[in-house]
This record gives sequence, structure tokens and C-alpha cells, in this order.
Amino acid sequence: MKEVFKGSSTYVASPELMSAVNVSIALGKPLLIKGEPGTGKTMLAQAVSQALGKRLIIWNIKSTTKAQEGLYVYDTVQRLYDSQFGEEGVDDISRYIKLGKMGEAFDSDEQVVLLIDEIDKADLEFPNDLLWELDQMEFYIHETKRTVKAKHRPIVIITSNAEKELPDAFLRRCIFHYIDFPDTKLMREIVFTHFDDIEENMLADALDAFYAIRDKREIRKKPSTSEFIDWISALKLSGIAPAKIKETLPFLGVIIKKDEDLEAIKKTGLM
Amino acid sequence: MFLGFFNFLRRKGMDITLAEWLTLMEALDKGLCGSSLTDFYYVSRMILVKNETEYDKYDALFLEYFKGIRSNTDDVTDAMLRWLDKTDLQEEYADQWEQHKHFMNQQEQGEMDHAQIKEEYEEVKANQDSEHTGGSTWIGTMGKTAFGNLGGNLGGIRIGGTTGYQSAFEVIGERKFKDFRNDRILDNRQFMTALRRLRQYSSRLDLPEDEFSLDKTVDATCESGGYLKIIYERPRKNTVKLLLLMDSGGTMIPYSGLMNELFQSVHKSNHYKDVKTYYFHNCIYSHVYNDPECENGNWIETEWLFRNLDSSYKVIIVGDAAMAPEELYSDTGNYRGPNGGLAGWDWLRLMKRNYKKIVWLNPKMAPGHAPWREAETAVKSLIPMYKLTVDGLKLAMDELMR
Repeated sequence: MKEVFKGSSTYVASPELMSAVNVSIALGKPLLIKGEPGTGKTMLAQAVSQALGKRLIIWNIKSTTKAQEGLYVYDTVQRLYDSQFGEEGVDDISRYIKLGKMGEAFDSDEQVVLLIDEIDKADLEFPNDLLWELDQMEFYIHETKRTVKAKHRPIVIITSNAEKELPDAFLRRCIFHYIDFPDTKLMREIVFTHFDDIEENMLADALDAFYAIRDKREIRKKPSTSEFIDWISALKLSGIAPAKIKETLPFLGVIIKKDEDLEAIKKTGLM
Repeated sequence: MFLGFFNFLRRKGMDITLAEWLTLMEALDKGLCGSSLTDFYYVSRMILVKNETEYDKYDALFLEYFKGIRSNTDDVTDAMLRWLDKTDLQEEYADQWEQHKHFMNQQEQGEMDHAQIKEEYEEVKANQDSEHTGGSTWIGTMGKTAFGNLGGNLGGIRIGGTTGYQSAFEVIGERKFKDFRNDRILDNRQFMTALRRLRQYSSRLDLPEDEFSLDKTVDATCESGGYLKIIYERPRKNTVKLLLLMDSGGTMIPYSGLMNELFQSVHKSNHYKDVKTYYFHNCIYSHVYNDPECENGNWIETEWLFRNLDSSYKVIIVGDAAMAPEELYSDTGNYRGPNGGLAGWDWLRLMKRNYKKIVWLNPKMAPGHAPWREAETAVKSLIPMYKLTVDGLKLAMDELMR
């Protein structure tokens, strides 16, 4: 294996996750990452691209995204306009073929990291429409009769929030990793990559409080890693006495976003 | 290689294809698993298991298959590893191992002090100079000391493999993914995923073509050489209408949290055309209640439901079906309110007659036949009943969509 991913200065990956990334690179298969929101699924791709020094291409999926858009779009409207105003080169269809994110990744002269973000947002059939392209790393442009084939197999990272179940045929082609919510030990490491100097007392108390909140049954939306990081920076800036953190839970709004949840915590405290 | 493991996993119900297996073999060929069982565990899991709900099952099967070769220390001499590498033995010993484990648990205290074991292990290792099988002092196979392999002591030190990260068996032992199991009583998000199965996009011809289609308009306009041509399409909407009837009787109190989750999920799943929720106490009679308190007066007639919610509504009844026989069969069986001249059973039959698509979700359904739970068995014979778990809910949704 020539390139090995070992995490980066701002991203702490668990050993299992690193191994998943490396296996997927070595086997040339897409890596499917699932996990709670805020566990750093999207950041993983950035970290991989940074650590391996490769360009990152992000394809953000929305509920209306079609698989075709990722490959190429034939801009018929532009061509129509041009033809009406007698522009030059209207008869050259290839001028109106715009490669999508996936097409861009295939067409790139060097290996890139392709992030297909939140694939579960799209229609149920979406992943199935990409099977051939992800397998063969090529697609065919009907209008110009050209086949776009990946010069260098991109490193494909796909994230999912598990909003929809993905089709079996698609899953079978992926390497799968579920990002578990970090335990306190890993969380410490994550905090240290974001803050150079942090008071040990404060961190310990904040961690205690944070995990106590997450464990509460009444909480509907559990706070995530990124919210915890925000909370730490708020606590740090305010210079609040560490001893007070568990007692008063300052800036609770940073980690708790729902009114009901705020009420629940105010009513029962941490215990 | 490891074909036995592949067959074993498939036999135990893991849905693994040959293509995935070949991928794993490719990974092995490329040396991605190193030579450690722990690496093999992670790599095989990421290739073979595609859902976190299956992690726990996989862990259990992995442990069952490889239970002989436990490992987490790396300073073991090669020779010792060779003695311990008895994978071929373990099939043979599988049964014995179970008995052995049982025996050991009786014999020795289940939990041993880890540091103490480690200390003893170092001492024994220093003294040991020959292979050992059986016995209760030396490091070896099938023994009952706390060290070595294939041994019965569950709390001891495992030898073999490399360290790098957490040992496979430590991970498995924690059963971190137990909560994700499909057969577990489920939570909100999983409910919602299951409820998404309930969708039926209208392709019905009786809907008006009133949705502007940009793509088709552009295409048609281009086709006709730039002369504007507007195309309308039938809208694609989920046409599923849902009637949710929830038991809020006394025996349901332990499940109130779960019921709340289900209620939330149904209402957050805003992709239904219509959702109606009513409550009942133990069984459905002439009235259903507007809220879970089930107070007399705050209700609507069940027949009003029949009249106003037509048979295209899909009905989900949630309850433990633990009525007393007279609550189900007597026409004065409703001790809280009016019976409407019919027994609960008859009202259920009316429900069934009015709504073609109807399922019953039961949070504490007895597996198989449960003759001692008369009411449940009777209701089950009338209305398809599923346990209120992820799997059960999925099956129920499939039933509703059939």
C-alpha cells in the first residue's frame, strides 16, 4: 500500500476508521460512512484529501438530486439561446456538455477524493443509478458518443445519515463503516486537536456534563461532537470557573437546540 | 480460505454474497488483515456487514466461530503461538468447549483480578519450556488456568495476535452495538425509517395533470425548434392515509415511552396524506377516545370512523391484546364505558371488515402459540399481529403495502 491514511492534525480517526479508509483505497471500492449527525462523516473526506495531498471534490446530495447530474448535464437551453442568436459553434454539442461532480472526478488528470455527501437524502433509486459508474468508473455521453473513463480511480467516500435504507445491490459494492459516537477518551483527543491549551479541570467537568446530558432518556436530540466543540470554545472564552460548569450548565443553548430538551434539563438537572 | 467461516455465517443467517466474500479474499491477498485476528475481524466486518444493526449479530457469530483463538498480548514466543493455533481443533472441540465452560464456571470464580492473572502468567511463562494440553498450571490448550487458548476460563488473558488497537474480543465483549439490533425494541429514528416503507406514489389516472414539468417543457420546446411548448404532469404524491389506534390501558403503562416514540415518529413522518390517531382502553368498543386519558365523553363513535374514514385508510392498532376473556367476548365487557350492544370481538371484526389493510402491533407479543394468552391468540387469528420491534414494524408495513 503506497498511501496510508493516519488521521490528520485536525481530525482524529479511530483505528477502525483509519483501517476502513485504507482498505477501501487498497481495494478501490467506495467507502460508505454512516453515523449520528455531527460525528464527522463529512470531515473525514476533507481529512483524507488533506492527509494524502489530493484534491477534494464534493457532491452534495439533495432530495431533488438525480444521478445523471453527477455525471454530466446537457445544457439544451443554452444551446437553444445560442442558436437563436446565431452564436458560433452551436453545431458542436460537446460545448454544451457540462460534467457533473462525478464526471469531474473521473476526468481529472490526477487521483482525487470524491465525497458523495448524504446520499440518503436523494430518491430511493438514486444509489442504484450509480452502480455501473461506481463499479466501472466510467460512463457514456450519448450526445457526443464519448466515454468518460476514470484516468485514476478516485477515492470515493459516501456518507449517509440513515434517513433511508440504501439498496442491497449498492451496499454490496461498498466498504461499510459505522462511526460510533466517540467515547470520552477519543473525545479528549478530538478536543485537543481543536484547542492547544485547555484547562484539565474544565475539560473533565465539561465532558462529565456532556455525557450525562447525552445519557438522559428525555433528550430528543442528542448533542453531537461538533456542538461539544462549540460549547468548549464558549466556556473557554467566558473564562467561567470549572467548578461551576456542572452546577450551572452555562451556554446550554449551544448544545441543546430544542425547547423541550432545555426544559427537561432545567427541571431535573443532570442527575 | 476460511470457506468454513463463510458457510458458517450464511448458515447462521448472515446475508453475505460470494462477491463480498471474494472482496474479502482480495483484501487478505493484499495483506490488509496483517496476520492478526483482530485486523481480520475489522476488515471482514467492514466488507461483509453493511448495517450497524447487524454488528451485534456478526460479533456473536465471530466469537462463536473463533472462540478458540482469543488473543491480546503480543509478547508471546512463536512456539507458543504455534501450540495455540488449533483452529482445526476447535470444530471438534466446540461441543466440549461448551460443557467445559459450564464446568469451569462452576469450578472457578467467574471474575478474576486481571493484574493478578497477568502476574501469574508472566511467572508461568518464564518457567514453561514444553507444550501443554490440558492441565491446570501451564500455558496451553484446553486447560483451565486463566492463560492460554481454548481454555474454559472466561476472565483470563488471551495469547496470540498483535496489538494495534483494541482486541476484537474486547470489542465484541463490550457488545457496543447491542442497541442497534434489529430485533430490539426500537427507537424513534429507527421507527421513522421503518415507517418510510409505507409509501404509495400515485400513478392513478384520475388525478389532474396540473404540475408544471420544466424538463419536459424544455425538451418539447427544443423539439419544436424553439417554439414554446408547455408540458404538465400528474403530481407524484404519497397517497397513504393512516389511522392509528393506540391502547392506553393500564397494562400498557410500561410501554408508554415506546408508544410515545411511535406516536412521534408517525407524526414526524409528514409524508402521509393524512394521519388520524385515536385511543382505546384494552379493546375497541363503540367509542374511541380523542386523547390518551380516555375520559368518558371525550370520544367519537367508532361507527363515525367507519363512515368518515373510508376503507382506503391503512389501520395500525397498537396494544398488548391482554384483555380478559369477558372484555373480549361479553357484550357488557367494557367496564369503563358503553359497549354499544356488541362485544369487543365483534367491534374488532367490524374494524377488520371496514379496513382491508389492518395490522396489530404488540409490544409484548408472546412468541409462537401462547394458549395461556387467550385474547392475544384470538386477536392474532383475526388481525395480523407483529411485535413492536424494527423487524416487526417492517413486516407490518410490508403487510399494509401488499
